[in-house]
Amino acid sequence: MSTKSNLYLIALAVASLFFSSCKSEDPVPENDGELITDVTLTFQEIDASGNALGAPFDFTASDSEGIEIGSAPDVETVMLTKGKRYEMSVDVYNSVAGEDITEEIRAEGDEHQFYFLGSAFTSSPFLSYEYNDDGAELIGLKGIVTVQQSPGVNTANIQLLLRHALDKNYPGADNPNFQDYAKAGGETDLDITFPVVVE
Amino acid sequence: MNLKTGILLTLILLLGFKIQAQDCSLSIRGKIIHLENNEPIEAAYVWVIEAEEGAVSDQNGNFTIKNLCSGNYTVTIQYLGHKTITDSIKLESTTFSKTYRLEEEAVGLQGVEVHGHRDAVQTTTAVSALYGENLMESRGENLGESLKRISGVSTFSTGNSISKPVIHGMHSNRIMIMNNGIRLEGQQWGAEHAPEIDPFLADEITVVKGAETVRYGPEAMGGVILVNPAPLPTKKFSKTNLNLVGGTNGRMGNINLVHVGGSDKIKGLGYRIQGSAKRSGNVKSPDYIQENTGVSELNLSSSLGYSSSKLGVEAYYSLFHTELGILNDSHTGNLSDLQNIIVNGRPFADGEFSYDILNPKQRVTHHLAKLKSHYHISESWKLNFQYGFQLNHRQEFDKRRGNLNEKASLDLELYTNTVDLYVNHTHKNELSGTWGINFIQQANSNVPGTGVTPLIPNYDMVNTGLYAMEKYSKGPLEVEAGVRYDFRNVSTARYINQELRTADIAYQNFSAFLGGLYHISPDLTFNSNLGSAWRPPNVNELFSEGLHHGAAAVEIGNPDMVSEKSLKWINELQYDGKRTHLEFTAYLNPISDYIYLNPTGEVYTSLRGTFNIYEYLQANALFYGFDFAGSYEFTEKISGYLKGSIVQAKNTDDNNYFPFIPSNRMDWGISYDFSQATDSRTNKITLSNVLVAKQNREPDFDIAPPPSAYALFNISYNKEFNVGDDKLNLGLQVQNLFNTSYKDYMNRFRYFSYDMGRNVLIKINYEF
Repeated sequence: MSTKSNLYLIALAVASLFFSSCKSEDPVPENDGELITDVTLTFQEIDASGNALGAPFDFTASDSEGIEIGSAPDVETVMLTKGKRYEMSVDVYNSVAGEDITEEIRAEGDEHQFYFLGSAFTSSPFLSYEYNDDGAELIGLKGIVTVQQSPGVNTANIQLLLRHALDKNYPGADNPNFQDYAKAGGETDLDITFPVVVE
Repeated sequence: MNLKTGILLTLILLLGFKIQAQDCSLSIRGKIIHLENNEPIEAAYVWVIEAEEGAVSDQNGNFTIKNLCSGNYTVTIQYLGHKTITDSIKLESTTFSKTYRLEEEAVGLQGVEVHGHRDAVQTTTAVSALYGENLMESRGENLGESLKRISGVSTFSTGNSISKPVIHGMHSNRIMIMNNGIRLEGQQWGAEHAPEIDPFLADEITVVKGAETVRYGPEAMGGVILVNPAPLPTKKFSKTNLNLVGGTNGRMGNINLVHVGGSDKIKGLGYRIQGSAKRSGNVKSPDYIQENTGVSELNLSSSLGYSSSKLGVEAYYSLFHTELGILNDSHTGNLSDLQNIIVNGRPFADGEFSYDILNPKQRVTHHLAKLKSHYHISESWKLNFQYGFQLNHRQEFDKRRGNLNEKASLDLELYTNTVDLYVNHTHKNELSGTWGINFIQQANSNVPGTGVTPLIPNYDMVNTGLYAMEKYSKGPLEVEAGVRYDFRNVSTARYINQELRTADIAYQNFSAFLGGLYHISPDLTFNSNLGSAWRPPNVNELFSEGLHHGAAAVEIGNPDMVSEKSLKWINELQYDGKRTHLEFTAYLNPISDYIYLNPTGEVYTSLRGTFNIYEYLQANALFYGFDFAGSYEFTEKISGYLKGSIVQAKNTDDNNYFPFIPSNRMDWGISYDFSQATDSRTNKITLSNVLVAKQNREPDFDIAPPPSAYALFNISYNKEFNVGDDKLNLGLQVQNLFNTSYKDYMNRFRYFSYDMGRNVLIKINYEF
């Protein structure tokens, strides 16, 4: 290659750098990947030995805009029956990017954990929860909820908290109703309060 | 004897007495600078023929000859390669003061020295600089931390690795940083965005405390920081400088190597090459380790220059690259996370030491290239051209799920081109000035694929400025004035919820300044400067809309905001005695349409919990305050210093205070010099004490109250050795000697953690 064409190439490279720096790129829409727009609690009544009884039913909290200024999320009221045992599974979905976040949480089970707080589990508890995930890791995607036979009140709240990057070995962190969850470190990915009514 | 004769006799007697009591405490004071570029001349020789007294100018070109009687004198000023100036002066009752401009002799003569070019800061505003011993002591620190040594300068920081310099209460886009003459254009709008510059590239860092929009362009409201390398050599020369810094806290290591050379074969050709690397791990607060607070930095700079008596050309390149971790627990998911850690007052975990930098983290690369040239059209006219190219690439990573964890959640590429074309004229000893045109073009793009709606839109900006400044010097007085007109166009585009939003905004502004400097006596100088300045709103202030990740805040911009306009009046009195040095600066700075982030007091609820809502508002503001710095030599061995600053910032519309304004602070110390009087080498120990008051001028809303006042003690020992022809400097420093737990109001992480504990540093500088 001659010196002349070398020079020409260098000039072209310099010029292209210059021109690329002269105009900003056209914007591209981003699908918010971290976003959670729908959280569904599915309840399946079970008997003492864990066999399913009847059809499952679910309750959803949704916010189509995610974390943007706009309307508040729609949260359904959870309706349960006194003295019954349920298997509760949590499904988390991002409708903006069309992604099932549940799978991601399961895959990173060592970094995620659900806590079940609110008056239904803490101050005047008539619900109890135990983790029942498929693997050994306590995540809370699946668990057993037991409703008291004769609770003092019949309305309360379920606060569903998803913690990310927490220290799972922190003393007490294995308790699904751990009120000092913040001490285990990490940050909150989900914090939804469902009203609950038992009949 | 009649009355008439009596009066006459008395008059004659009085006159005679007057002649007898001739005043012999007068001085000749002056400044010697290069005619062609205003650079100060060090070591020029001044001789007063009649008095047989002489002096040599110091590194700022200043000289003083004291104890002269009144009368007529002939002064000669000589400097190698320059025409000798002979001046006849009449010394009367007051001190004589004058600026002398030395003209270079024609080329071709034997023994002509062509000097490197670095323009002296020619301003009548208050200026303070960090150089020599003080700069050496600051090695290993970032720019913000280094500049805390200057009174009136503090920092706005995010943890211990991110700090932004604050001049008289202003930071980010209200001050300007010049990297070797080029406006540093990074993403300075963010509170957690540190300036993209390596202090090791400088041999002098100057802080101009006045409004300097006319000289440096929009945004130079609160002040300007000039980070300047030494001028390039113009004759055969070779010097290498090695710095090694080690610190116990964070187990920090820092190395810097600079080589400066001048060509033997080609006269006027010189170069410099510099590189530095820094690595530190998790920082320790007195009671625990702050997780994920490591830093990794790699920086380069180089320049090549040629100077002849007519033409000067310089090419310069600098690279800044950093990767730094953000304290784990500071990244909060929602308001209750934020409240939990504020109540706790420190991270939940005790932490372990590690060099690993994990998410959340920042990765920033900044390239800056410049080409500068000047040509001496005639004895008194010089034409200058400067082109600068910058690319800033900023990536911020958050703790995210799955593959997203590997992706930046903020990924911005900012290109900036700047062109300056200006002429300087200097006429012997009286009038000098600069007229020019400045052009800035900027393109900001969000790199796609972050999986997050961009915080700021893509935008294009073009700014054109026209300016002129003139300075008149006569005797002890210098007067300076300047005007500038700017025109700016910004067009933005971004998708929010699949919907394209664009905007086109134009700004224009006129700014001006008037300043003066007066040598009251050889020891005492007064200067005063009144300057207007403006700053167009940043894109984030206009277009923010959504969650500020990690801060548990939803921020809302206002696209209808107008430019901030300010007027800064700054006065400085300087006394430079034999044993005493004093500097006192007072300023008044009203700003109209000052932009600030205001908590609305409302919260926003989402599936992720609740968030505080903040909005950008404009209000009229008044900033005022003063700085002082002084030193005194008690004996040849013992000296002391004292400095401090007070700044007030009021919202005059609502009659309350703005957040994140530095509280009152002062700093004093005592040094003992072990060296012999005949030995100029340093051998000194200094004990210093920093006192920072509680910020009582707090805003109406803050997520946590201001932290208490604190006092820190530091100790440093420096010794200089000769190793053959080479020079070795050893420094030992202990910062936060008593491992005090404290929080600083100006550190955003005061909500989450105590500041850094004790740090023992060893600093080695070898010059060969």
